[in-house]
Amino acid sequence: MKAKIPILFAVSIAIIVLSLVLVKANIVQPIATIFTGSLGDARRISGTIKEMTPLLILGSAVYLALKAGLFNIGAEGQYTVGACFGSLSMIAIGGGIGVAVGCFVGIITGALWALPAGLIKAYRNGHEVITTIMLNAIALLMTKALVAGPFKGPDQFTPSTSMMPVQSRLVPLFTIGNLEIPQSFVVGIVIVLLLAYWLKRNVSGFELKATGANPTAAKFAGVNTKQVTVKAMLMSGGLSGLAGALQVAQFEHRFYDGFATGYGFDALGVALLSGSNPAYLILSSFFFGAMNKGGTALVILGVDKGITTVVLSIVIVMFAAIRYRKKEDIRE
Amino acid sequence: MNSFLLQVVTMSAPLLLLAMAGYASERSGVINIGLEGKMLTACFVCAAFAPQFGAIGGVVMAILAGIVISMLHWTLTQVYRIDHIVSGMAINLLASGGTGFLEASGFAKNTLTEAQRLPLWFYYAVALLAPFLLFWAANHTRFGLQHKSVGSDPSKARLLGINPQRIRLLALTLTGVFSGLAGSLLVSETSTFTKDMTAGRGYIALAALILGGWRPIPAALSCLLFGLATAVQIQLSGKPMFGMQIPSEIWKMLPYIVTLLALAGLLGRNRTPAGLGKH
Repeated sequence: MKAKIPILFAVSIAIIVLSLVLVKANIVQPIATIFTGSLGDARRISGTIKEMTPLLILGSAVYLALKAGLFNIGAEGQYTVGACFGSLSMIAIGGGIGVAVGCFVGIITGALWALPAGLIKAYRNGHEVITTIMLNAIALLMTKALVAGPFKGPDQFTPSTSMMPVQSRLVPLFTIGNLEIPQSFVVGIVIVLLLAYWLKRNVSGFELKATGANPTAAKFAGVNTKQVTVKAMLMSGGLSGLAGALQVAQFEHRFYDGFATGYGFDALGVALLSGSNPAYLILSSFFFGAMNKGGTALVILGVDKGITTVVLSIVIVMFAAIRYRKKEDIRE
Repeated sequence: MNSFLLQVVTMSAPLLLLAMAGYASERSGVINIGLEGKMLTACFVCAAFAPQFGAIGGVVMAILAGIVISMLHWTLTQVYRIDHIVSGMAINLLASGGTGFLEASGFAKNTLTEAQRLPLWFYYAVALLAPFLLFWAANHTRFGLQHKSVGSDPSKARLLGINPQRIRLLALTLTGVFSGLAGSLLVSETSTFTKDMTAGRGYIALAALILGGWRPIPAALSCLLFGLATAVQIQLSGKPMFGMQIPSEIWKMLPYIVTLLALAGLLGRNRTPAGLGKH
């Protein structure tokens, strides 16, 4: 397991070099930029932490569903819905209570958005990936229509809600020089720890893992697997919705068309890379966050950000090939 | 009226070809979330090579690219046995990132001239014939029947002496051909490549395939239905209906909502191939 991480790292570098040779660009500078752009100084590390925060919470959401044997591709849609309705209630109520209510609304709406996928999977055997892809598309279109029409901020020119009042926004938990630790980041870490505890030490967490590992065996052992499937989807959706609401409260301060920028899909990679131990979610979301942040710095050099996407996809595939091949053989 | 019909055909033909690509792989048991990425790659390759190799060369290269990326999909799912969803998502990421990077680096920048595009009627003719051909092949040829049986139960098919991996190799080659055609049709319609130009068509094609119950002719009809919905939306955009302004997003949502209802079993029984995603 440990020996494979350097291999993945070496391959990522090799891919970047090859692609840069292909387009006849300078090789050393872009790679250095990915590192300095994401970890160069305190301000950039804060940027990496900012990129990492939603991935951490969404990664836990997808990880939870994955443990129950479900691919929650719908994290993107649940995140969007949670952010949209969360921001609307934060703006309507205002203050610290507004943020609390907004987070609650985010959890509820995110969970509700995942519910159809859970129900269809459990009782109609419709694949959760297809249903969540459909729900993603509906979520994006619906929230766009909402913030372009009835909930458009009066002072906004593009489809967007108005900004949250300054005094009700979440401030960083603490700042050391230029290094900022946001509150939502700490929430994310707590969620990961709670998730690890719940999966390991709690009966319902164990039932969830059993359902994911072998549904037939779990059923014979007396687990209501259908109920577990619905519950896992609800919890996963709730966490994704919370990620959206926190993103609004901490960083974005409003909801607008194009709010979700693919965090939900990256989260699948984060969850897959963390393998069997939820604590690795912190490491893998850091890796994705650093790649995102470093990729943004590349744009200044005139190198497209797409190259980091290519690297991430290949890392995911290689990791999955190394890790999940053995498991498949046992199942057969 | 004529222009409206043309709009319906323009909107549904790429979807239809892509849905046939999905049919070839999904009916053989390979879940294909990667349709989006395959089509995008084909779009890019067609736009990049047509200026040098001419119209036919561009389409041939696009089809080859579709086949190559489908072979990658086959290797991942059948040889390395990576989860079908993970490999499909990875292909989408790879295609989106890769084509975006290459386009920003100066590839496929040219607008295709008339001579560098195959006439649209060629694609439309293929789109018209393909569902019937696939329907016939599925029920009357040796390969078609083996293809279906592998998708329904790979382990039973193996007992009958069919090699699921070999059948799926051929099925995914067919997927590559159709996604290559779908991609080059999209480029021929717009005559230039833009980043992420497929804009979710892969998922809508998948939706059409599901709505059609994984059967070629109903899937093709679903594509026409979705094309019709898009054309209606374009016609109505900005115009009030029933005395009020209906946002265009409502129309765009329709295909997805209908597919959800179909999956929930509200529109007839669930016809998912039983061997989908199994080895």
